[in-house]
Amino acid sequence: MQFLGRVGTVLLGLSLVLAMCLPVGAVEPIKIGVLGPMSFTQGEGHWNGATMAADEINGAGGVKVAGVMRPIKLIKVDTNEFLSIPDATNAVEMAVSRYKVDFLVGGFRTEAVQVMQDIAMDAKKIFIGCGAAHPELCTRVTKDYDRYKYWFRLTPINSKYLGKVDFILLGTAAAIMKKTLGIKKIKVAVVAEKAAWADPIVNISQKLLPAKMGMEVVGVWRPSPVAKDCTAELAAIQRAGAHIVFTTFSSSVGLTFAKQMGELKVPAAAVGINVESQKSGFWEATGGKGNYTETINTYARVAITPKTIPFYDKYVKLFNQAPNYTAGTYDALYILKEAVEKAGSVESDKVLPFVEKTDNVGTAGRVVFDKSHDVTWGPGYVTALGTQWQDGKIQCVWPYHWEKVFYEGTVPFKLAPWIVDYWKNKK
Amino acid sequence: MGLLGVYFRRTVGILRTEVLVLPSRVAVLVFIVALMALPIFTQDYYFLRVLILTSIFAIFAASWDLLSGFTGQMNFGHALFFGVAAYVTALLNLKLGLPPYFSIPLGAVGGVLTGLVVGIPCLRLKGSYLALTTLAFPIILTGIVFAIPEVTGGELGLAGLSRLTGSRVMDYYLTSGLMLILGFTMWKITDSKTGIILHAIREDELAVRTAGVNTTRYKLLAFCMSGFFAGVAGGLYAHFMRLAGPSGLEVGLSFQVIIWAVFGGMVTIYGPIAGVFILYPLMEILRVVLDQFPSLPEIRMFIFAALVLLTLLFMPEGLIPWVRDKIETECPRCKVRNVFSRHRCRICDAALD
Repeated sequence: MQFLGRVGTVLLGLSLVLAMCLPVGAVEPIKIGVLGPMSFTQGEGHWNGATMAADEINGAGGVKVAGVMRPIKLIKVDTNEFLSIPDATNAVEMAVSRYKVDFLVGGFRTEAVQVMQDIAMDAKKIFIGCGAAHPELCTRVTKDYDRYKYWFRLTPINSKYLGKVDFILLGTAAAIMKKTLGIKKIKVAVVAEKAAWADPIVNISQKLLPAKMGMEVVGVWRPSPVAKDCTAELAAIQRAGAHIVFTTFSSSVGLTFAKQMGELKVPAAAVGINVESQKSGFWEATGGKGNYTETINTYARVAITPKTIPFYDKYVKLFNQAPNYTAGTYDALYILKEAVEKAGSVESDKVLPFVEKTDNVGTAGRVVFDKSHDVTWGPGYVTALGTQWQDGKIQCVWPYHWEKVFYEGTVPFKLAPWIVDYWKNKK
Repeated sequence: MGLLGVYFRRTVGILRTEVLVLPSRVAVLVFIVALMALPIFTQDYYFLRVLILTSIFAIFAASWDLLSGFTGQMNFGHALFFGVAAYVTALLNLKLGLPPYFSIPLGAVGGVLTGLVVGIPCLRLKGSYLALTTLAFPIILTGIVFAIPEVTGGELGLAGLSRLTGSRVMDYYLTSGLMLILGFTMWKITDSKTGIILHAIREDELAVRTAGVNTTRYKLLAFCMSGFFAGVAGGLYAHFMRLAGPSGLEVGLSFQVIIWAVFGGMVTIYGPIAGVFILYPLMEILRVVLDQFPSLPEIRMFIFAALVLLTLLFMPEGLIPWVRDKIETECPRCKVRNVFSRHRCRICDAALD
């Protein structure tokens, strides 16, 4: 009898240990599919941003869903979308039907994202885009809300707004040049890589600059996106007497152009879009010759919000590079966390109203989605940034008291000394 | 009932005397049965999607073999037919509201016309000159696509096409069924009198011309036929993906189709089909396997390339002809194929060793 009592005690003890262990193991994680071309910088950004957020959330106990703390489990989905659109769709279908993800974040190439969007909408999965800028992706939401309501775009701001920022940066640089150098009419060389996406910017520049911005377009140059030599264009630009080179580059030509412009000391300020100059390795790649190159950007080490600098520093520490806009997956995860906790569920239809009502202070600004589920752009929301390389450091130079917006850490736009000397001596 | 019995006995007879006697034919039969029976066992969306795309690309690869393998007209820009048909299909569906069963055949007609447009200037060209010229066409068309975005949708392409059918299983049966029918049709073409002339043009065009055959007409016919079959694939793709975009004209796709065909075995029709059915799902299997090791770098494309290179190093004729030569032997007298284990020909009783 005594023996039976002992056995009973041991069994009870074991049951208690098991009972303590079971709930931890039984909690089902929230699965989030991170979509991106993982062999490329863009996909790396998607994954890095998401892992950072997931580690932080899980470290703090997880996501509280109806009173239960659930961890986030990320599913890495290599879409290979630069090389194959079918590959991208297969990857998303696998994430949705095999891995049963609850949410999707990421995507980059617009043509591929459209198809990925369709798969996500068929499965009624909330998909927060962090990479494709084309407005059509959100226009679909307004055209057919019932079908596309699960789609949201977080980064970057859409290409219409990117265009606006592009011209604001140009206008700001022109105003500084006028004031510093006493130039009456700014002459602009429009230089855009020979790619379809750059065509609208070139067309608008030719109309808008003389008509609305009081500038003169001295010429349009369209080097190949992979050009290894731009000296002919740069010589022509210098001969044309341009004060500003309005750049539109997303490919490697941005590196060549910036480097040779510095080597030749072309007396013109490079302003616009140069994706290469958003990368941490730009300074080394140009041997420092890319100094003073300005570009639109999403992240820099400035206090856009109280979260930006800690995020930026941690990202650089962990991944040894500055975050690019695809790392917006970081904010996407926090937006989902907030919405899921409010909804008390991971079901898309229950979470959706809370994502729609998002008013989240993220790392790139205050995130509020508009009616088309696009991130709102403007003062008080996400503005995007203008960054300039200044003596080996990437500095935020815009917004600099634009519409009363100023982020702590922002510095004034600088003109290269040889530009100042050239135009002062020319007088 | 009696008639049914006659047909049944005839079918069994054909199976026994024509199909079961050769391992390659048994493999084809097993493949067809497995393909048709698969949805009974699984209706997994992902699995079916992969096989639907595999069937579409199998038609596409076989159509390349028809032109470049059999006729020797080396086409490095085969994506042109695929892309044009996809765009035509998309425009007909989106602008005129034509359903897939009209838009796809009409898209394929677009492929035929493209075959003519490409074929005529290429008639005088041979070898690498022909290959480079054909490579230029899809690049030119990509430029046109970007130049008129109001028609083509520019970099976004044309999206929102109506679905192929109402369900994934029906999509699967339609694409795999069409793949089998069109694959069989292409194979029959190559086995016909026309096919023999096409083959002869490839071997020695001058000799065929001296025999009084209008080779120009036959070469153009090959371009048009290939354009038609590639066009069907392009139309199916556009409706299944619900998108026709510039990616359908990419140089990468033109080279992909060559890799599939050469890997499977050129000048066979079934070789390229098998090539796609091995390589395309293989990429997905690699994805699933490598997903289990998230710390590994992305080595899917590397493994794929290494496998293709190794296969072609040891099997220069392609995988399927190599396997076929291992399991079957050709009778030196009557040229009929026999299973490798036989010592005497099943038809003429000649010694096989």
